Amino acid sequence: MSVRRLRRSALLFAAVTMIATPVAANGYREKGKQVVIAGSTLRVTPPRDWNLLSIRPGKKAETWTLDGEQLNDVTWYAGIAADEPLVREISRKQKPLPKLKQSTLLVEIPELLETTYRTERQIGDFQVTGSAPDPFLGQPGIRFSYSYVDSDHLPRRGEARATLIGGKLYMATFDAPRTHFFDRSLSDFRALTDTATLS
Amino acid sequence: MIAFARGAAALVALLAIAAAPIGKAPPPPPYAGIYQPQGVDEIGAWREADEDERALANAPEVIRDEALNGYVRGVLCATVGKDRCAATRIYVLRVPVFNASMSPNGTMRVYSGLLLRVRNEAELGAILGHEFGHFERRHSLERFKAQRTGTDLLSWAAVLASMAPGYQARAGYNTMRWSVYGQLYHYGRDQEREADLLGLGYLNGGTLRPQAAASVWHNVMAEVEASSRARGLSKPRYDLFAFSASHPPSAERAATMEALADPQGDGRDDGADRYAKALAPWLPTFLDDQIKLNDFGASDYLIAMLAEPGWTPRLWLARGDLYRTRGNPRDLVNAAEFYANAIAADATLADAYRGLGLSLMKTGRPSEGRTALRRYLHLKPDAPDAGMIAMLAPAEPVEP
Amino acid sequence: MYVGRMLAVAVAAVLSLAVVDARAQERTAAKAGFELPAGSGKTILVFRPTVSVGAQSTGGMFEPNGDWTEQARKNLEAALAEQQQRLGNKVISAPESYGADAQLVAEYAGLFAAVSQSVINYQFFPGNRLPTKKRDNKSSVFDWTLGSGIAALPGAKDADYALFLYNKDAYGSTGRKILQVMALLGPGINVKSGEHAGYAGLVDLKTGELVWLNADNAMGGDVRTPEGAQKRISQLLEGIPGSTAAPAAAATPVKTAAR
Repeated sequence: MSVRRLRRSALLFAAVTMIATPVAANGYREKGKQVVIAGSTLRVTPPRDWNLLSIRPGKKAETWTLDGEQLNDVTWYAGIAADEPLVREISRKQKPLPKLKQSTLLVEIPELLETTYRTERQIGDFQVTGSAPDPFLGQPGIRFSYSYVDSDHLPRRGEARATLIGGKLYMATFDAPRTHFFDRSLSDFRALTDTATLS
Repeated sequence: MIAFARGAAALVALLAIAAAPIGKAPPPPPYAGIYQPQGVDEIGAWREADEDERALANAPEVIRDEALNGYVRGVLCATVGKDRCAATRIYVLRVPVFNASMSPNGTMRVYSGLLLRVRNEAELGAILGHEFGHFERRHSLERFKAQRTGTDLLSWAAVLASMAPGYQARAGYNTMRWSVYGQLYHYGRDQEREADLLGLGYLNGGTLRPQAAASVWHNVMAEVEASSRARGLSKPRYDLFAFSASHPPSAERAATMEALADPQGDGRDDGADRYAKALAPWLPTFLDDQIKLNDFGASDYLIAMLAEPGWTPRLWLARGDLYRTRGNPRDLVNAAEFYANAIAADATLADAYRGLGLSLMKTGRPSEGRTALRRYLHLKPDAPDAGMIAMLAPAEPVEP
Repeated sequence: MYVGRMLAVAVAAVLSLAVVDARAQERTAAKAGFELPAGSGKTILVFRPTVSVGAQSTGGMFEPNGDWTEQARKNLEAALAEQQQRLGNKVISAPESYGADAQLVAEYAGLFAAVSQSVINYQFFPGNRLPTKKRDNKSSVFDWTLGSGIAALPGAKDADYALFLYNKDAYGSTGRKILQVMALLGPGINVKSGEHAGYAGLVDLKTGELVWLNADNAMGGDVRTPEGAQKRISQLLEGIPGSTAAPAAAATPVKTAAR
């Protein structure tokens, strides 16, 4: 999710340090081939081809896309533990991000994602539009939807699935511009997350 | 480098004291009327501002509520007068940041975070008048020219530093960077002082209480201190807030504002009641936008400030949400108490039952928690999270 | 915050180095099978081009210049009309819109920018190309769309294609040029003087497909003069498949992804 900003700062960093570092290549996630998410025990077998972006939003997260993260962004959060933020904190002291708590309930996960987006992107317009119980990774889970105006002024919609296993959060989010892109790939996101398993 | 910065800050403070005026701010000069930009830099800046305004007018962040827009415009007009007011287009933006700004072509941006923080028309007028002062004195043009000189120096320093590689040169570049920014910073201070003077001049000549300007600065400082304290920072970080970064607050500044205010204006109305009424439809939204920013200290301070005239169910609810989302065990106990206060004052506030129920479930009182959650579902059967809550608190045959 | 941004801007501007060889990057691509030959009787709806012209100070700061911008806008619009006449197609300006219509136009302009940015980042820039696009590229596929909802834009029902244009020109000031020379002679740093970026895209107003995109960060033609604007427009519109837009002045050849 924060890939957009990270990418920008990575390019700036390359310019500043005057190092012509080749940007690490983006990964290929081929149809039908099982892959592991962010070195965790979460495994996915994509029903169609996807791309893995080389820049990760956090140690335990990775972003997949079809056309670029501005147009369709699937971010996996694999085993976020208590007192950890969803994504990498730019400054722990000056701009801390919300943390998952030992006591956080599944019904509060949409609030955690909302406060993370708002804090990280300084946006004012974010709404959780619905949530309902729905198993994820074979466990009791939650599926929820949301809409917001992102920091690039483009209105976006999102859907997410999450579950808490042994106090750790496993979640997949799908974010896309509300015009065309959200509807076009929502079924791809659903089919993709249906293949997710924990070993 | 730190020592250098400290030295610069001391110098700036000294200058501020030396330049502090003694009496009340004079009335502003007669308004020059419709102004047309002159010179390459200014005409260019206006053109850019016009283009920006075209985009701004259709931006999704703009709050298009006619009543709110009309009200904010009314406060600006009451502060700077009809003639000056006519030169301005106001855009209220849903951005939870304490700030307001004015472009050279007369576009004024008022952020929802500002509306949440001021408590009456006089305080809002003080901020809007200050920004109008920058506009009237055409400060953005001067600042642009100063920035250009500043970045020019930096470019040369960067090239020179890399010509003589080694630690020493790098250190030199870093020092240079500090001094150039110190200059920019100082330059801004002069303009700030001028805008303060003009802003108070408008207020003195208007109908609102000019003493409100000083209280804005006291509140800004108190909020930043509360925020920094809650984050465990050793010193208040004014630069982390948009408004206090560009408008450095200080005790001297507040004192200057105090001195500039016409003592005879002290008995005037500050419009607190009218302000509260005009903001009422938006306050829950703006408050929610703030407490979800993960800035516990600032949010807690703001809620307490808003509660000065008296606690409302909405404010108790907001405080409950703030403590529940921080989520330490003691926070959850406090949150339950705040939600209970909200319910005691308004037994139909559905969201307070939700917060109460979740807080109780997490603090070892699940059966009471479920009762509260069922009450939430009863009051708000179409809630977006009804399905999730129903799973936590399955319905009982008899509604409690 | 303000100081931090200033720093980022200054440092990035000072050190706008040629990290990547610009020539390795592709600049134009079109959807397979798309053609816009002369006399095809198509109508092109032009949305208000984004035009910004100014100077670049020694520090790399953009100094907007109102007169230049106004001249450039006039010149570019005239050049566009003339160029399209030569192409044998009708060019109409999008109607000025208000309220909800204007907001819709703004949202589509934002979406076009997001799509263009993705094409530039993930298709034109080979080192960063998305693997799925890489594979697509091999079979000459350029597959990007804004969605068929674009047909609801004001003026869309009277036209076949929408043309979006973006131009930003910053002419290096004398100070910047001296810095450029010194930096090259001294430490051998390549400091960029001036910025001449432009991109143009054609969107099918029935399907929403991006049928052609041309994006270039180093454009020619001084848009402050009518002749320069002619050259710029012919460079911007160069590579529309099927068009025989003979460039008014010599233009640099570009690689095309869809060949």
